[in-house]
Amino acid sequence: MPRLIPHVMSLTLALASASLGTVSGLAETLHIGQQAPDFTGADSNGKTVQLSELKGKPVLLEWTNDGCPFVKKWYSSGAMQKLQREAASSGVVWLTIASSAPGEQGYVDAIAANQDTASRNAAPAHVLLDPQGRIGHLYGAQTTPHIFLIDQAGKLAYMGGADSIASTNVEDIAKAEPYVHEAIEAVVAGKPVQHAVTRPYGCSVKYSS
Amino acid sequence: MTHCLLKVFAFFAFCLCSAASASALESAPFTTPHARVSLVSEIDGFDPGKAFRLGLRFQMAKGWHIYWLNPGDAGEPPQLDLTLPQGATASGIDWPAPYRVAEGPLMTYSYSDEVVLPLTVTPPQAAAPLTIGAKVTFLICEKICVPEEGALQLDMQSGHAAPSAEAPLFSAADRRIPHPSPYAASLLPDATLVVAGAGLSPSSVKEASFFPDKWGFIEDAAPQRLSLADGQLSLALKPAQSFDPKVPLSGVLRIADKEGAERFLFISATSKDLPAATENPAQHPATFAEASPEAGLGILTMLGFAFLGGLILNLMPCVFPILAIKALTIAQLSGHARGKAQAHAAAYTAGVLFSFAGLGVLLLGLKAAGAAAGWGFQFQSPVFVAGMAFLLMLIGLNLSGVFEISGRFIRAGSGLADRGGALGSFFTGFLAVLVATPCTAPFMGTAIAAAIAASPFATLAVLLALGLGLATPYVLIASIPGLVDLLPRPGAWMVILKQALAFPMYAATAWLVWVLSQQIGSDGVLAAATGLVLLGLAAWAIGVTQGRHGFAHRFGRAVCVLALLGTFAVLYDIAATPPALVTAKDEAEPYSPESLAALRAQGRPVFVNLTAAWCVTCKINEKVALTSEAVQKAFASRHIAYLKGDWTRADPAISALLHQHGRDGVPLYLFYPAKGEAPVILPQLLTAGIVLDQTGS
Repeated sequence: MPRLIPHVMSLTLALASASLGTVSGLAETLHIGQQAPDFTGADSNGKTVQLSELKGKPVLLEWTNDGCPFVKKWYSSGAMQKLQREAASSGVVWLTIASSAPGEQGYVDAIAANQDTASRNAAPAHVLLDPQGRIGHLYGAQTTPHIFLIDQAGKLAYMGGADSIASTNVEDIAKAEPYVHEAIEAVVAGKPVQHAVTRPYGCSVKYSS
Repeated sequence: MTHCLLKVFAFFAFCLCSAASASALESAPFTTPHARVSLVSEIDGFDPGKAFRLGLRFQMAKGWHIYWLNPGDAGEPPQLDLTLPQGATASGIDWPAPYRVAEGPLMTYSYSDEVVLPLTVTPPQAAAPLTIGAKVTFLICEKICVPEEGALQLDMQSGHAAPSAEAPLFSAADRRIPHPSPYAASLLPDATLVVAGAGLSPSSVKEASFFPDKWGFIEDAAPQRLSLADGQLSLALKPAQSFDPKVPLSGVLRIADKEGAERFLFISATSKDLPAATENPAQHPATFAEASPEAGLGILTMLGFAFLGGLILNLMPCVFPILAIKALTIAQLSGHARGKAQAHAAAYTAGVLFSFAGLGVLLLGLKAAGAAAGWGFQFQSPVFVAGMAFLLMLIGLNLSGVFEISGRFIRAGSGLADRGGALGSFFTGFLAVLVATPCTAPFMGTAIAAAIAASPFATLAVLLALGLGLATPYVLIASIPGLVDLLPRPGAWMVILKQALAFPMYAATAWLVWVLSQQIGSDGVLAAATGLVLLGLAAWAIGVTQGRHGFAHRFGRAVCVLALLGTFAVLYDIAATPPALVTAKDEAEPYSPESLAALRAQGRPVFVNLTAAWCVTCKINEKVALTSEAVQKAFASRHIAYLKGDWTRADPAISALLHQHGRDGVPLYLFYPAKGEAPVILPQLLTAGIVLDQTGS
């Protein structure tokens, strides 16, 4: 009898892990106040950027796709660039992330990324190239733009849309509540963010299918 | 010739006449790279002061789509700015229900091909011809999104207001415009939508889905699991980060019947205040039938109870077959030295403790992931149940002597025989725990629940104490010198004993097949039975060719492999089988927070029985106590309502109720007195007397 056990045990383990696998296939949802998931990314100048090394300064993640009309609204109006410069002067490390898969809209290699930054006069600290969508999936980035703000202690302080009006109309930026601007101010001052979870709006992130 | 010409002429005249009776009323369209957009009117002339409908018509390029009022995870709905003449008013758009379209990991609500978005216009009292202007901006997407826009103008004359040639477009839109819901809708704290009303039943509803009208209620991309009972539909939605059960959930519910006919209903679901049941047990501690208050359990008491629970577990019907194997192993050892017996006992204990610790870690992991991890949850997966049935069948076939596992597979090198035996004992312990889990013994339930509510350390300590209790009988038999010597000498009786012990295995297999029938219906039973037959074939093929050489040996192996492949195909098929719809088959009304609240609101005392197909304790209690004549009579005379919650498959409402009362497994018996106080929790082993006493008030 005991001789049979090792053979059937492996079968049991396989079956058990299969059924448990279905239970544990839960999507990871981030919460405000939790430690932001650490990641390492390559930027457009070949440098490796690791989130945990930036602890001590607030870090802002901005998902982008230069062909998306919502992103174009923010960059053609100069509003995103203005936000980036204000953030930099407050000591926030701004990471623009491109998670579009090769062949999809918004995909950039290092050269194209730097050209984009220059041509639209953007001012991020780094542009991270994430063509496999690793960082995007880690954070559950859904749209471009989608903003995450991480405080000085490495905890998630804001996640959601660039502002309160989900449209492609440039005139709406002035009318909207500037959620990201407010979040940056709050984090820099060490205060809790009033609207910490807001609706992310934009085009879907073009992950590989 | 003239005859033909006349016919042709008559045909054309007929066409012209038909066309003339309904004139087209569509504005000049504007065309963008991906769409043709126009304004259409439902009637060809307006009556002064009488409302009529206009529609914004989109004819989209193939593969492109525009978005609904709530676009979902990405996108933007079209904007319409109307310029109306003096004195005219217009409503907002009456959005037809969209289609749920997945875009990668996102879910969006959109329209493709063609859609007409109707709105109602009330013209001024004057009969002068009117002009309606429209500025349309919209986002149209395929893989990429493009913002497009244009201007439209529609001129209308006052007239006899007959349906225009575009009226059929409005009828098509009407089929998808939602109606106010005739059913009551409510919202559970876990974002499950419960819709109740006559006309909802497993036979009349096949599919349902919900479109929220705003962001922030639910995770749009999460699957929406449907459960049906007579008069009720529940849709398990996944709450979003900003979900607040106090805010009414509004949107559109789509219901499809077996023929595919769809209905769309406006839903606004509010969370009802359930009396007493949702109150924090810490504020209103439920009175236990036993005297132990939940909050007061010290860690030592919990460990003590857990140990006792583990001992009692050995007696439970689903562990006993394993005990049978253990006894057989011990009997085989009776000819060995004492040390070997003790080593085996230690290995068995290690196996049990290891698997309890593993389960504890898993339970903690799942708790962290927020799943309603109930003890026995693995039995909620049909693939797991089928796999366990096959496993026990194989063991039974081996015990019956159909095939033997030759030792040479395991022995490699000298000294491995001992290790092989100890390893075998280790894995026997592992198997014992796996099969034991659904049978929650009386003391175990409270101890585990208290531990899980406490620190992770306490949870693991309690589980390890349970494991010790489970392993102790084996250790005792192996360690006490007298006991081993008392065991009979090996002989022919061992073979007979071995064959006899196959039958608890077959019985457990039969029970698991019954559990499977509850989960995936009679198709699942056929699949499982086929798998068992294939296993029998595989076992026989091996057994009959064992010891032979050459062709017979190879043929036997080949048949075995083919049969085993067939078994795996069956398992794969079972995994793909959809669950059998939860139906209220017997006279017992199914439990739902809705029905509980309704019955309590009527002032009736309610008895809730939470059970599951794989819970043997539950079945025994039902047979012995709950369906006994005395109890049935008492329920009738005391006007006690009886609700039965079947947890055979994961049910969030039942999981929530279990969790509320500090339990993570079934059975759970709750009696809600008529006066609206906190419920009485009955013990897990019932007699008719206990039930009558506790429901006597």
